[in-house]
Amino acid sequence: MDAMQPPAAVTPSEPWRRRLVRSLLYGRNVDRRAKAAARVGLVILVFSLVYTVIAVRLIIFGVTSDPHGPRRINTQDRVATARPDILDRNGEILATDVIVPSLFGEPRKIIDVDEAVELLTAVMPDLDSREMRDRLSSQKGFVWLKREISPKQMREIHRLGIPSIGFLNENKRIYPNGPTVSHLIGHVNIDNQGIAGIEKWLDSRGLAALHMAGFATDRLQKPVELAVDLRVEHALRDELIAARKKFKAQAAAGLITDVNTGEVVAMVSVPDYNPNNPGEALDPTRINRLTTGVYEMGSTFKLLTIGMGLDSGKVTLASSFDARSSLRYGRFNISDYHAQRRILTVPEIFTYSSNIGTARIALAMGVEHHQWYLKKMGQLDRLRTELPESAEPLVPKRWKEINTVTIAFGHGLSVAPLQAVMGISALMNGGLLVPPTFLKRTPDEAAKLAKRVVKPETSEMMRYLMRLNAEKGTAAKANVTGYYIGGKTGTSEKVINGRYSKTKLLNSFTAVLPADKPRYLILIMLDEPQAIPGTHGYATSGWNAVPTGGKVIARIAPLLGVAPRFDLPTADKLILASARGNR
Amino acid sequence: MLRLLHLVVIAGLVSAAAYVYKIKFDATVQVEKAAKVRRDIRRERDAIAMLRAEWARLDNPTRIQDLADRHLNLRPVEATQFDDFGRLPQRPPQIVPPDASDAIAALLEQVDVLDVPTGSTQQGGN
Repeated sequence: MDAMQPPAAVTPSEPWRRRLVRSLLYGRNVDRRAKAAARVGLVILVFSLVYTVIAVRLIIFGVTSDPHGPRRINTQDRVATARPDILDRNGEILATDVIVPSLFGEPRKIIDVDEAVELLTAVMPDLDSREMRDRLSSQKGFVWLKREISPKQMREIHRLGIPSIGFLNENKRIYPNGPTVSHLIGHVNIDNQGIAGIEKWLDSRGLAALHMAGFATDRLQKPVELAVDLRVEHALRDELIAARKKFKAQAAAGLITDVNTGEVVAMVSVPDYNPNNPGEALDPTRINRLTTGVYEMGSTFKLLTIGMGLDSGKVTLASSFDARSSLRYGRFNISDYHAQRRILTVPEIFTYSSNIGTARIALAMGVEHHQWYLKKMGQLDRLRTELPESAEPLVPKRWKEINTVTIAFGHGLSVAPLQAVMGISALMNGGLLVPPTFLKRTPDEAAKLAKRVVKPETSEMMRYLMRLNAEKGTAAKANVTGYYIGGKTGTSEKVINGRYSKTKLLNSFTAVLPADKPRYLILIMLDEPQAIPGTHGYATSGWNAVPTGGKVIARIAPLLGVAPRFDLPTADKLILASARGNR
Repeated sequence: MLRLLHLVVIAGLVSAAAYVYKIKFDATVQVEKAAKVRRDIRRERDAIAMLRAEWARLDNPTRIQDLADRHLNLRPVEATQFDDFGRLPQRPPQIVPPDASDAIAALLEQVDVLDVPTGSTQQGGN
């Protein structure tokens, strides 16, 4: 019915009730319509302004990052910052972080120092109560009371309910394998900063800067993969410890590298230390002899000298040198240990390890060529690897003919064993010098870094000599059936009070596995081994370092995936024949 | 007309306020949930790290070797114990047809005909 009425009938007349309200609100004579229009306009303006501000703020909040994001650093947590895990080449953990609570106090807020100290020392008797009292009585806002406590201690202290004593969670670095990889990975200090080995290298790569900025607090950092193989490392260490005990040596060290990629698959230097207890590392007898020590490598260096001769083309395998009498040089008299007193061919010089013969080869090449060649092989400069600890080789200041003569058979030039291994690897792998690394490296990456230093034929001849030496030379005791190894022994007399000692020896054994298609180079070193009943009174390398090397090879070859082969022809048929075939 | 607009705007305002409140409330709940999940993830990750460290400690070759020396008679593998598949002998010829119902009877029938070595007695022995 209402809808049928014309709208004009309603508009002019106002109901009396509304008229009353209007007169009460606005007064009687005010033109409501004009005012209302202005007010409504104002209100619309103000509200639209307010809403614009809100909208803009909302957009700003939406665009900028979320303040509750995961990167927010919780002050109650993680004081010592996280480090990436270190894994071996098969993904086994070598170093990782675990969370442990640490106890702190706030001296300014503490109420009763004596009571707090008493209660704390009751739970942890190893705390020094006087030191605790001093720390808690200071005016500092924050003091550490004890770092890295056990969860049980944490619960007990929590139950004591001492005011202004609290816990912070910290990352603690642990090394589950203990001393096995100690020299390689190094260790950290209580603030989780690397102070040795690969740990220090990690810090030098910018991790330290991240720590400073407080970003390296979570666990999502990419783990670092090393080239080391934990199983091989263990086998090597086990055999070296046994050998050190058996031959009563001062120290023993071993190094296994991949000749083609330069990766260090195992590196052991005993005595070593437990990185979980870094205090042990300060003992100077526990240094890493393979990178931090420099040694006169003895006959091992003859490999480099003979390689130089063969590579120059002036010396061939058929060349012969006079070793009938000892070589006199001023006040020096160079003689042979296994003296043959006749003219020796190059293979004979190698297998009898003739000092005179090697010296004559070096002299035939000349001093400058010798120096240039050793420089090219990286023996005269400090070798830099990922490990921060490295030693500069001891090179004679004035290099005269006598220096060339002695350096030819490994005396008068001290190098880090890792450095010598790099040079020898180049002679084995076809003539490429690849800088050694402790990180995983693919053959392609190695090929980019490799530098050709000798001809491939020289390398084949050197491998032939190595194999020959294992078949019928000084390395015969390491000839493990089935693995076709090649090897060279080295016995050098240590310098004691400026003179070469006849009894204190540094023995080494270098082996290539397998000799026809080289994959690994093994270096075993024994420092001052003694003659024992089983060695017939001898303390030279052939009686201790070589059998140790044999045992190591028998154990590691299956681990490294080197398949044993039987009924292989002798070196002259297999390696030399292929060398001729290639030419 | 204006009154209708007012009503609509007021209704819109109230519902917008209610809606904003609801979103805000939901967001807070979600943030808390996310924070909790994040905390749980971190706790789990720490626990995983702890367990992995423990596993690495238990799995470490020095310990395994000690245990093996103490409890097992095993010795390290020797080179002669390896061989490759190329040197495996050929599969022996099948004597009994695979569909025979009585395998032993079928074998007995064939023995006289083929003179198959059975391996149970020494050849040429007494």
